[in-house]
This record gives sequence, structure tokens and C-alpha cells, in this order.
Amino acid sequence: MSNVERTGLATDESSVGDLLPSALIAAASVAFLASWATIFQWLDETGTYLGVPLFHLLGGSLFVLAAGLVILGLGSHFGYIDGTPSGNAGMTVGVVFGLLWAVVGGLVAAQWGGNAPVVWLGGAVVFGLLGAGAALSPREDLGSTLPIALLLAMVGYVVVAGHINAGWTWTPGWTGAEFPGSELVPALVIHGSLLGIWSAAKAKRGYGAQGRQYGAYWLIGVAVFSMLGVLGLLIAFIVVQGLDVMLTGASLTGGSLHLFGVSIPWLEVPFVTNVPGGLFVDIPGVMPAVLGTLWLVLGAVSFAVPLGVGAAIFLTEYAEQGRFTQLVEVATNGLWSTPSIVFGLFGLAFLVPRISGGNSIFVGQLVLGFMLLPLVLITSREAIKAVPDEYRDASAALGVTKWETIRSVVVPAALPGVITGIILGVGRIAGETAPLLLVFGGSPFPSAGPQVLQSFRFSTTPPFVTNDALLSPASALPYQLYSSITAGVFDHPAFSSTEYGWGTALVLLLVVIGLYAVGVGSRIYFRRKLHNE
Amino acid sequence: MSNARVESEDVQTIEQTTTGETDERVREAWLDYEFTGETKLSTTDLDVYYGDDHALKGVSIDIPAESVTALIGPSGCGKSTFLRCLNRMNDRIAAASVDGSVELDGEEVYQDGINLVELRKRVGMVFQAPNPFPKSVRDNISYGPRKHGDIETGLLARLFGRDDREKEQELVERSLKNAALWDEVNDRLDDNALGLSGGQQQRLCIARCLATDPEVILMDEPASALDPIATAKIEDLIDDLAEEYTVVIVTHNMQQAARISDQTAVFLTGGQLVEYGDTDQIFENPRSQRVEDYITGKFG
Repeated sequence: MSNVERTGLATDESSVGDLLPSALIAAASVAFLASWATIFQWLDETGTYLGVPLFHLLGGSLFVLAAGLVILGLGSHFGYIDGTPSGNAGMTVGVVFGLLWAVVGGLVAAQWGGNAPVVWLGGAVVFGLLGAGAALSPREDLGSTLPIALLLAMVGYVVVAGHINAGWTWTPGWTGAEFPGSELVPALVIHGSLLGIWSAAKAKRGYGAQGRQYGAYWLIGVAVFSMLGVLGLLIAFIVVQGLDVMLTGASLTGGSLHLFGVSIPWLEVPFVTNVPGGLFVDIPGVMPAVLGTLWLVLGAVSFAVPLGVGAAIFLTEYAEQGRFTQLVEVATNGLWSTPSIVFGLFGLAFLVPRISGGNSIFVGQLVLGFMLLPLVLITSREAIKAVPDEYRDASAALGVTKWETIRSVVVPAALPGVITGIILGVGRIAGETAPLLLVFGGSPFPSAGPQVLQSFRFSTTPPFVTNDALLSPASALPYQLYSSITAGVFDHPAFSSTEYGWGTALVLLLVVIGLYAVGVGSRIYFRRKLHNE
Repeated sequence: MSNARVESEDVQTIEQTTTGETDERVREAWLDYEFTGETKLSTTDLDVYYGDDHALKGVSIDIPAESVTALIGPSGCGKSTFLRCLNRMNDRIAAASVDGSVELDGEEVYQDGINLVELRKRVGMVFQAPNPFPKSVRDNISYGPRKHGDIETGLLARLFGRDDREKEQELVERSLKNAALWDEVNDRLDDNALGLSGGQQQRLCIARCLATDPEVILMDEPASALDPIATAKIEDLIDDLAEEYTVVIVTHNMQQAARISDQTAVFLTGGQLVEYGDTDQIFENPRSQRVEDYITGKFG
């Protein structure tokens, strides 16, 4: 370690001030992940890893973090580590540390002083002010390390000394809730390691503006990876639970595809292609529900997209911007936030008696179309507004009428944005369950899919076109999933209700992802065409 | 020269015109201008208001056919507004109202029941920033004629035996050659026009304008967003275009106006046309004191 003032613009890459924070961030990240694994019970909280009980490892890592932060803070303060610390750690750090210490103070006071508001509130205020003061009064290198190091050391000590262990439960007097140590300890370690990462990241860049920027970079990075983690976990969980069911009896070449009278070997996935029940069905499947969902989405899209895009064009290109357009905007935003069960209730009370007299595909399509409409309208409006006025000017200067301009310049330029809106909306309505319960669903496990195409009948007398299948109830994937999971009414020797439900969930996920893929693909196609990529 | 002095001079010159004395002298000067050849466009007492803002005040001017007329003046003097009156592009601005008369070949432009499609086919426009459509080079050129029904392509046209693809190709080639762009883009007619350079895009916009076979081409600072080489190409092009078309060009660049135009109209602050005459005369021997101040850089 040197006591030399920094002279150049660059920092020494291999100094203690650089390596120690990196090591601390790595250790804290491992503790963070291990804690989540413990909460999800992938690690045994009473188990022993590397020869040490798991909780001792977690507590010890907090200890190590605290010790490292103390070294970094004092080292910088006494000039052994280079840095550019600011005069104090800043208001954000003060508020965060103050709140943390207030929580600690409140808990400690309540534990030993009794459950009187004056006791725990007093403890919280005193400790909070102390914490905030400790963070704000010294220079940044001490203020952003020592208060947090003390907190981490305390928590680490409590865990390592075994005051809190897996079997321990905390039942505070002021609430009936219980906090088992097996979950409390990982939760504490998760928060502690995040704070440690933040503090160490600031130290790595020598505090000051650069340090804060790097600390923020790490915190935001953790947010991104947490989001990806949640998403990955959700999808992985459904795939793991449903894959076995979906692939029952599946083979690559077992099926056959009839093409122009020739039969060629093809994929066979009976769970997707079979009907749920019937005399000769060995492996019950979800085909009717898949068809039901696809018909619903198709109907809703063909109802909502022309209407929504048309309204968006009128509101953006023709209507004068003012009270009226503002009112429409507020109304559409409100419609988009309306709960789906309310749409369903409207369909049940208003549409069903007037159209089909009972649950039907057509009313389901209409209700989902109503739900899709505001989103298509909002996103299309934004997309059309974003089309540069230069295109409209150029077209007008060539003597092309407004409608022709909209048709051949504005709408093509807005199309990628419009498609984005449709993708978002379809993702929502494909998995919508509540309105389907009211206006759409019949038997959740029908023995045949809806024969919509075959059921069109034409006549020379009004109403000229009729379609019985559209006016009959059917089953859809989310509806069927809800039935099999909640009521357990599915009964077949091949699967239990729950297994069948997981299989349905996986197929629903795949159908939604498939619709997404179609949408994203077409968006990429139109964007390429537009921007010469 | 201090800023304060420039400002006071500016105020003083405006004062002079509003009192009417100097104004009268200048009015006589530009009314005197007589050109050889026939009048293509003429305006009489043209006033434009944007809401309460009186942007253009009583402009009367005759523009000769098959020549280049430059409109110069400081920012906000109304020269672009004037240009946009000539093909009624101001109709697209809700707050704008126009009073007075604009005549194209002796026919009133601001009459009821005017066919805007026909007007803008005859009076084309090129804008300040290149604004090609996000389509292929070919589609950019044939866009206008296609929308006017002069060219039919596609499935329906082919079904009815009216496929004009040869005519389209011929039009694209002719327009691009007239805009001096053919040699640079003839091998990528089907590429997106946004992939061209800025100067090429602006010449494409000129070609797109030529494709509807106009008589007048209005240009609103067509070279201000371009580098010197691209600017030189556009200027050469304007020179060639003047043999067949009537070109009216707004520019900030006085050297450019001096180089390319046959006659120059000077607009000054307040939306007034102060002097109109032969370009050489305007730049060498302006009759109005204000115009001389503006051209020599004393104010503006």
C-alpha cells in the first residue's frame, strides 16, 4: 500500500483498492444466490456444505463483507487507498441507512423494553437518527462503509453464534405472524449482501461521482438479473411440471401427415392432438381447448384491430386535437384498466341474451375483442403520432390526397408499432379466464373441437349466414386449466387432474409464445422493409 | 461593431418603413422591375396570418417562367410562408389564413373548388430536409404518378392487361437522369431510399417532384442540410432545371442566390417584400437602404 496521492488520470488496476472490492462483490453475489437457493429449498438449511453448516457460511460471509468494508473505509480515510470521496455520502445513503438503523432500533427496543409504542418508536427514532448521522457526518469513504459494516457484523454474529437457526421461530407479541429462522436468515443475508455489493462497488471506483455511478450500475444490474431470474424460474417450473404429461406417447415419426393423398411420417404428440375424453382415447389431450383458444384470439383480433386502428387514424389524422380527443384518450385508458370480470359481466348480462341465449364462442370473441380494443387504439395512436410529419408534407406536395397518404405512407410506417400493440394485447386475452367463465365456457373437457368452419350455413332469407358452432359454448386452454386445477373434475386413468392441468398450462404457454413469435416475426419483417436494415 | 448598435440600427430601419417614407421609395423600385418572357406566377396583395400573427403583408410580385427566382431575407421574414402559399401547402396549417390572390398562368389558385391534386401536380415542392419515403428508390419516384392513376402496376393492373411497368421504368430513369442521380443509383433502384446519402436523398426528392411532370418547382432551402459538394451538385441541377421549369427557391445563403438565380426578391423583417429585381442589380446596386444593409451584413 502506498501513501502517494494520485497523480495520473488512470487508477492502478491491480491495487488493493480495486481487488478487494471485486472479491467482496463476488462473495456477496454468491451469498445472495445461495440465500435464494435456500428459500427455494434447493439447499438444505440444516445441511453442511464445505464442512461448515450452511447458516454459518451465510453469516460468515456477512462478517467477511463487514470486515472488508471496514478495511476499505479506513484505508481510504487514512490515505492508504486512492480515491476521490465526496464530502459526505449523500442524502440517499443517509435515508437508507437511517431507515435500516431505525428498524434495528425499533426491534431491539421492542424485544427488551416491551411492546409499548413509546418504547419501540423511541428506539427507532434514536437509532434512525444515529444511523443517518453516522452515514452523513463523516466523509463519504467512512459514511458509506462503517454504518453498513456494523450492521452486517451484527447480523453475521447473531447468525453464526446460533441465536437464530433453522429451528428458531420469532413470534413477536404485536402480531400473530411467525417468522421461522429457516427463511428469516436467508432474507437477512439477501438484503445484507445487496447493501454490501452497493457499498463495495462504490469503493471499487474510489467513491465520489464515479463510485456512485458504479454502485448504481450494480444495483440496477441486480434488478435486471432478478427479473430474468423470476421469468426463467416461472417458465422452467411450468416446463418441468408439464413436459412429462405433454410428451406422453409422443414420438418423432409415429404420426403421419396426409398431403395430397400421400402419407408421410410426421411428429406425433397425442396430448396436443387428442380430445380429452371418449371411449377409445388412451391418452387424453387438449386439442378442443387449443382450437377454442385460437378461435377466440382470431375473433377478438379481427374484431378489435380494424376498429382500433381505424379509430386511431381518425383521432390522429382527422380529428382536431382538443377536448374531444382528450376525452377519448381518458376513456380508452380507463377501458384498458377495467377489470376483465367486469367485461365478462357485461357480456353475460347484455350480449348473451341478445346474441346466443347462452354461453357461446361468438360472445367470448366479442368480449375479448372489447378488452383488446383500447390497447390497440392506444398503441396505434402512439405509433401513428410518431410517423414524421415530413412524410405527410412530402406526399401532400405531390398532390396526393390525405386518405391515399394515410393508406400508403402513414400506416405502413406505423405498422411495426401497431403490431407491437396487438402482440401485447393478444398475450393478455389468450390467457384471460374470468370473462370466459361467464360468457364462453361449456363443458371444459369436450369430446370434440368446435367445428366453426364446417358450420357456416348460407340461405337466401335473413340472416343469410348462420353458424351454430359459433353460437355454442366451447372450451379454451385457460378455462380448462382452471377447471382441472380447482375442481379436479377431470377423470381419466392416464392422468390425475393436477397432471392434466400442468400439461394444459404448458400447452397454453406454448400457444401464447407461438402467437408472440408470429407477431414479433411480422414486426421485424415490416421494420426491415421500412428502415433498410 | 457592438450588438447594441446593430439592434438600434435594425429598429431604426423598421421605423423608417412603418412611417412610410422610405417604404414608398422602395415600392416604386420593385414595381419598376420588368422582365422579358411571360409571367408564370403572380400574387396580388397577399396577406397571411398565423392566428394573430401577421406573417406576410401585402406581397405583390410577378414571377417569370423558365427562370430561377430566389427569395432571400432574414429568419422569420415570411419567405417560406410566401413559398407555401404558391401551392397552397399553408392549407395544412390549421391556424393559417390567407388573404389576397395567387395566379398560376392567369388562373386564380385561391378560388373555391380548386383541384389541389391538379395544382400540386403542376406546382411541385422540395423541402429543406431530404424527406424520401421509407420505400425503395423506384417506389419513391413512381409514388406520385401511381397515386394519380398515371401508372398502374400490381395484380389488378396485370389482370386487366394494363401493366405499366415499362412505362414506370422509363419514368424512373428519366426523372433520375433529370435530377443527375441516375449514374449513382441505377444499380440499386429496389433498395430503400433511406440508405442513400443526404445529398442523394435530396436529389431523389427533386426527382420525385419531377416525376409528376410539374411546371413550377418550389424549393425551400434545399441545400441547407447538405455539405458543400452535395450543395454544388444541387446548384448545378437547379441551373439545368431552369431551362424547362420555373424554379422558385428560398435560401439563406446570399452567395447561393447570387450564383444560381436570375432574379431576386428580398423579404425583410415584418413579412414585407422590400425589393425585387435582377439578381445582379440587387446584389451590386440595391435601391433600398435596408436591402443594402442586409446584403452587406449590417443587419439581419
